[in-house]
Amino acid sequence: MDDGVDDRDTPAEVDATFRTLRRVAVGYFAVFLAAIVGFPLLAVTLDWWSASRLVGGMSPGFLMAAFGLYAFFAVIGVAAASLSSAVEARMLGGPAPEGGPLAGEGEEP
Amino acid sequence: MNVPSTVVLGLVLLLVAATAVAMRPRGTSTVDFYLAGQKVGVVTNAWAICGDYFSAASFLGVAAAVYVSGLDGAWYAVGFAAGFVPVLLFVAAPLRRFGEFSIPDFLGRRLGSERVRLVAVGVVQLVILSYLVPQAVGSGITWQLLVGQGVAGLSPYATGILLSTTVVAGLVAFGGMRGTTWTQAVQFLLLLAALVWLAAVVLGEGFRYGDAVADLSRAPLANPTPGPEGWQLGTEQNQIRPGEPASFGDPGARYGGVGQFALIVTLAMGTAGLPHVMNRYFTSPTGTAARTTTVWVLCLAGAFYALAVMLGTAARELIPGAVDEHPWLRELTVDGVLRVPEHALPVLGRIYGGDAGLGVVAAGALVAVMSTVAGLLLASAASWGHDVYERHINPRATQRQAVQAGRVTTLVAACATAALALGMRPESFSSVTPSIVATMVTWAFAVAGSALTPVFLLAIWWRGTTAAGAVAGMVTGTALAVTMFAVGTVTDLPLVGEVLVTPTIVAAPVAAAVTVVVSRRSRVPDDVERSWLVMHGTAADRHAERLARLTVAEGRRAKGGRRRARR
Repeated sequence: MDDGVDDRDTPAEVDATFRTLRRVAVGYFAVFLAAIVGFPLLAVTLDWWSASRLVGGMSPGFLMAAFGLYAFFAVIGVAAASLSSAVEARMLGGPAPEGGPLAGEGEEP
Repeated sequence: MNVPSTVVLGLVLLLVAATAVAMRPRGTSTVDFYLAGQKVGVVTNAWAICGDYFSAASFLGVAAAVYVSGLDGAWYAVGFAAGFVPVLLFVAAPLRRFGEFSIPDFLGRRLGSERVRLVAVGVVQLVILSYLVPQAVGSGITWQLLVGQGVAGLSPYATGILLSTTVVAGLVAFGGMRGTTWTQAVQFLLLLAALVWLAAVVLGEGFRYGDAVADLSRAPLANPTPGPEGWQLGTEQNQIRPGEPASFGDPGARYGGVGQFALIVTLAMGTAGLPHVMNRYFTSPTGTAARTTTVWVLCLAGAFYALAVMLGTAARELIPGAVDEHPWLRELTVDGVLRVPEHALPVLGRIYGGDAGLGVVAAGALVAVMSTVAGLLLASAASWGHDVYERHINPRATQRQAVQAGRVTTLVAACATAALALGMRPESFSSVTPSIVATMVTWAFAVAGSALTPVFLLAIWWRGTTAAGAVAGMVTGTALAVTMFAVGTVTDLPLVGEVLVTPTIVAAPVAAAVTVVVSRRSRVPDDVERSWLVMHGTAADRHAERLARLTVAEGRRAKGGRRRARR
């Protein structure tokens, strides 16, 4: 285990950050799960999704499997990483203000 | 082997070997051998992770699966690419911040238990072996097509397996993680270059993606199957609408309704439990760097798999029309359709780039195999050498002895892989699976996603996880995944059969539930708050960043001082 923990991350700070990051991760994961289950579901249940032709003769279903889902994963990744890093930068790394925890349940310090 | 192919292949191997020599470890410490000194930058690590992850299953297997099954084959690409989203959300940063050598090391220390460490070593070795064998099979297939002849009385397939595993085992034993990181980064760039070149050539020759999908979807999908009267084309039946023929652009050529989700979930959840990929995160300098690395990987993976799906489609559309002009295709095809779907990309390369084109694609395939095998052998060495040898066999081992143990382990794992791969015959599987290479890798994902990912996520995000819970979860996940797989392989049950061969959708929730139930009845490790501070705090990251800034500033000051002195 790294021993680089200095005295500026208090347990309260880390706990508040952990809870906020958990909420961020679970939220994005729910969107991700909806997509990877939802698109195959559309392919199985909705004829239009497989039968109609859009760009250059591809169906919406094939278009998503060929391009759309990879772009979606990249967008989710960039958004989640930016938000998580911003949360950590705001909630950790400084002395706690007087009168309470640095940030409870996602509040800003 | 012809001259252009030999030259291309020779140049690629020379470049990889030169990189390994130039970037060999400078010291003999285990941190240097297994973790490259924990100083690998974001972009380099992203390239190395891609080199590690984009195996024969990605390069040959995804295109082959699309070639055989159309849209259903593309779900492999989606699942492989999706795997890094859970890694980014739940694993990358906290795992690096905790900072150990391997998955068993992480679990053992986080939960304060040697039993957890040893059980995790067992599961990790199972995953690694399941992943190594298809890579070796991929190298055998590529050699068979590229060279067509064996060495010292061996078949071409056996020669490819033995040569590739020997070369990679040598490079890993010599270069450790530092050398492997750079060779994997170079290998990924070569792999991507091969794919981009092939895509550019195919598009330049007039291939129209959308038109090809529409064209292929008009006729029923048919693939070659061996029979008593030789190979024949057989129409694939739609698994979603029984009685109807399958079509290239529609779902159902390979999987029924449930199978579509089960495959994606299995691949998406398995990535977070892959030892060779997760070990790479320990080489990042900080948790934030590990997270940013994953964003890069997601973007690169998207580009890579989109190209692989397109080229699988291109092969299906273009090869039948090329048989008359290229007579060598006759022995590889049945009515214009390839017998071994993994030949799709090499054949496309030879059609459009001649022997040099075949050399480029085959070199890409061998590079894909080699970089992944390197990562797997190193992960195997880390878990045996660090978690078993250093901890249990010789706790007083010197750093040199520990590194030697890692090197020996690398060679043993390589021998076991080659032996298992030699027993496989890929052409005999083409009638039962879209791509034997991609399917076998799915087994590794299934075990990793069922046994390791649930325990891993709970250990990072739930303070209440205990050693007993983790052991119960890993054992349950492994047993369930292997049993379901075995039953699914030998039986042909409609609907249930698809879930049985992609078991994560069932096994992972069960393993997680068992971990939680057992954990609630056992004692939480005493130092859980300390672990939480390290995993979810950023003090160590800030410390490392301050140090890096100081080092850079010091370097600039020294450089400026030298300039002033020269004046």
